[in-house]
Amino acid sequence: MSVGLIPQGVMAIQPGGTPALDRALVMRMAVGDERALGELYDRHGSMAYALAHAVVGERADAEEVVADAFGQAWRTAATFDPARGRVAAWLSAITRTRALDLVRARGRRARVLARAAILDDGGLAATVAPAAEAPDRRAERGEARHLVARALAELPEPQRRVIELAYFGGLSQTEIAAELQEPLGTVKTRMRTALEKLRTALSPLLSEGAS
Amino acid sequence: MSEHRWRVAAAAYALGALSAEEASGFEAHLEGCAACRAEVQAFREVAGLLAEGAPAALPAPGLRERVLREARRVRPLVPRGGPLVPWLAAAAALLLAVGLGWGYLRARGDRDALRVQLAQAGDSMAQQQQVIATVLAPDVTTAALASKGQPPSARLFWNPARNRVVISVFHLPPAPAGRTYQLWAIARGKAPVSVGIFNTTSDGRLVAAMAVPPGLVFQVTAVTEEPAGGSPQPTQSPFLVGQVQRTE
Repeated sequence: MSVGLIPQGVMAIQPGGTPALDRALVMRMAVGDERALGELYDRHGSMAYALAHAVVGERADAEEVVADAFGQAWRTAATFDPARGRVAAWLSAITRTRALDLVRARGRRARVLARAAILDDGGLAATVAPAAEAPDRRAERGEARHLVARALAELPEPQRRVIELAYFGGLSQTEIAAELQEPLGTVKTRMRTALEKLRTALSPLLSEGAS
Repeated sequence: MSEHRWRVAAAAYALGALSAEEASGFEAHLEGCAACRAEVQAFREVAGLLAEGAPAALPAPGLRERVLREARRVRPLVPRGGPLVPWLAAAAALLLAVGLGWGYLRARGDRDALRVQLAQAGDSMAQQQQVIATVLAPDVTTAALASKGQPPSARLFWNPARNRVVISVFHLPPAPAGRTYQLWAIARGKAPVSVGIFNTTSDGRLVAAMAVPPGLVFQVTAVTEEPAGGSPQPTQSPFLVGQVQRTE
């Protein structure tokens, strides 16, 4: 059970194979093919839901966020620009924005901070991919989760905390500095250093040129 | 010193952690700094992966159906007159490449445009063919729009099953201020029906997908220049006209 866990005969073996499949799905969505949306959900729905759940903290809201996010992806598929990154990154950015909007609309900042704290308690160590996903995607995602969890776990705790507060909590650097009672300059440097480390650690998952 | 400041900002910007004021300052800097733009893109990809770090949580089985149900209530946005849609451009490059074999491409200008577009299309031909085979059904029909053999020119791809067209325009300067281009579908003996309005980019090109009214059958397609927002009926003679090529 290592990073190399990929079943035989699936597209995940080909480097870039699944990003290309994702792009084809988005393209079909742009011309109104609902089945492509369903396939995109099968491939990334669990990721989007886990992300939404981490941000909003409860099931009903997380489902609303995911439905909204895929709805937005459906409507705006024609504007997806493959030169700017992977489909999965596009989808997670939409989902995160929707989730943070919902949290802010409900004035739930305290809960967000609580959630971010929960992430410290080993939640990130989970590498088991949900069984609901397509098998190739499950293996691929298992690998991604494993690498991301390990990369985050290897960050010094203060650096990881800054990343989590920014990404899952949606806090600005100024807000993070206030929250942690640290100088703003310290927070800025930590964020940069942490993201640099993650970039190096996650380079196997990044597209060519970004690593 | 200022360089260092921006390098630190790129990471925070990618995470959406700059204040609104800092973000607008950084965006102004990004306009002229390719190095920082590349930094931001790389960090955005890293940030995108952080989603995989969320604690495992399983969606309810009914969520898939809800996603599809809500999508059924809206159609995808069709870019009209917006900037060139990058992947549509890549698709058009492939369309044109396929068209080459079918004898669609004759004008040298089109071949030059094809080379440029193909160069921009980063993916392998095999992947593109897979994509295009999906986008276009076998019964797609085409029209070459021209004005007496001179530039500008355009090509229309019409998928009747999906009620959708893709138009690819070449060598057409952007419309003057307060004006727009409008694409028409004309059935024999009937008034023109507006398909949509568009504008080209400064390089004189456009690739755009547009919706066709369901059930509309037309034999001729044309482009006119109209007041911004378009007109219910053409207010001038079309400068680009093409006949739809039936394949059967």
